[in-house]
Amino acid sequence: MNVKTRLGALELANPVVLTSGTAGYGKEISPYLDINRVGAITIKGLSLFPCSGNPPPRIYESASGVLNSIGLENKGVERFIQEDIPFLETFSTRVITNIWGTDEQSYLDVARVLTLVERVDGIEVNVSCPNVEKGGASFSCDLASLGSLIGKLRDVISKTFIVKLGPMKENIGDVMVLLEHLDVDAVSITNTFPALAVDVSTQQVYFSRKTAGLSGPAIKPLALRMVYEATQASDIPCIGMGGIASGTDALEFLLVGARAVGVGTATLSNPVASMEILEGIHSWLSERGIESVEDIIGKAR
Amino acid sequence: MKKALVTGKRRDGNLVEFVCKCPEIAKSAVPGQFVMISVSTTLDPFLNRPLGILWAEGDYFSVLFEIVGRGTSLLAQLEKGDTLSLLGPLGNGYSLDVPRALLLAGGRGIVTLHFLARTLKEIGISISMLFGIQNRSEIVLSRYMVNCAKGVQRFCCEEEISGVFQGTIVDALEDYATVQTIPEGTGVFACGPEGMLRALARHPLLENHRVEVSLEAVMGCGFGVCLSCAHKGRDGYLHVCSEGPVFPLSEVAW
Repeated sequence: MNVKTRLGALELANPVVLTSGTAGYGKEISPYLDINRVGAITIKGLSLFPCSGNPPPRIYESASGVLNSIGLENKGVERFIQEDIPFLETFSTRVITNIWGTDEQSYLDVARVLTLVERVDGIEVNVSCPNVEKGGASFSCDLASLGSLIGKLRDVISKTFIVKLGPMKENIGDVMVLLEHLDVDAVSITNTFPALAVDVSTQQVYFSRKTAGLSGPAIKPLALRMVYEATQASDIPCIGMGGIASGTDALEFLLVGARAVGVGTATLSNPVASMEILEGIHSWLSERGIESVEDIIGKAR
Repeated sequence: MKKALVTGKRRDGNLVEFVCKCPEIAKSAVPGQFVMISVSTTLDPFLNRPLGILWAEGDYFSVLFEIVGRGTSLLAQLEKGDTLSLLGPLGNGYSLDVPRALLLAGGRGIVTLHFLARTLKEIGISISMLFGIQNRSEIVLSRYMVNCAKGVQRFCCEEEISGVFQGTIVDALEDYATVQTIPEGTGVFACGPEGMLRALARHPLLENHRVEVSLEAVMGCGFGVCLSCAHKGRDGYLHVCSEGPVFPLSEVAW
């Protein structure tokens, strides 16, 4: 059976991708999971300089969901290259680095550094984090500023260029048409959904930054709708993500048009969730005598 | 995920202890470490719960927890013969290379210090323990105090209970220090509510001692990928699950 898939020029051995912020820099997950067995690992979002993130509390649980307000804490791109690239060089899996900035220049600076790193196969640009003042969400608010940023990044990124979109006011089909025009290689859809938690014991909003990002099975139908509409509007390969916790969930995303699937929050409660999801895809295909995962992508229209 | 068979259960009010059989965890666990236990076979609640290890011996280990919310309520419904799905042992434990030890346990903080006290006794290190509770509802926890340290120096409660020193653990420490000096080199280990640890952090009696504290935090993963369990530290945030839960008190900020 063939479970290979492609994101533009980047071939993945299988469609299961670890999503940014749920697999650390690679080292943290690898005692629990053989990262060579996933299609790709996406590294925790990197900025040009280290970022300490938001004050605690940073996590809250809702029905089948998790609200987080990590605030893009990360060690910065230079330390990542020094401390983690040598470790990742001992693996053959695809490595996607997620990046973010506070303005166009800082996005471009971090992209310029990573595009020169041989071990990096793809660069995923976060324009949709809800948890920081200017962590990108502002760039997805209007098509003009998004287009300007992505156009400039396209000029500096020589790796597979992925744009990570989250919930936004703009019509997702319009965004996809814009990204296609700008020659983006792939999209990741979706990021977390802006949400709120209230602590009745203190009668206050739970998080210091008020809103937080909701992920987990609670958002799966919302994410599916976005992937469905995005892949209808454009042929840009899509990594579908949002609440995937089983092989069936992953198949739903593939059927609506995703070429790969991201596993994120599920990894937090089960570090080998991605492997169980991959096995689920395998056995579903083999039970039906379907030779290739390609055969089901976009079948649900 | 590992599997552990529940071979024993004890429930006292809101406190539940599970004795579990899982040689893989029991044989490698050290005092101060924890496990992440799945509380539901459905998708809700989605995250595992971090629970400190009360003791580990041979093929068995035990966890003691208080029912505080939906996750722990569901977990408390499990019975002897059920199987737990879990990760562990996780985190870094207490330092055992001390000439003598003073243990300061507040409420549920007794859990990891109980394991520490047993281990220190086994390796022949003399221990003193001060144990404090806030009110009489926690009195059942004293069972674990008596079991682990015959030489318990002070048992205190903020509420008046006859025969029990009335006050906080800090009051008890001050009272203890009037009759007993804390020799130089003593390893001081503390686990309890944040207010207690904060009070100890600036207490002159502990100024010249190496103090280790175990922090409690709401966690996402328990193994260092999600960065949810941040706690203020002297040089930026500490991540309780992967860098702790045991930290030198001097590295923690409040």
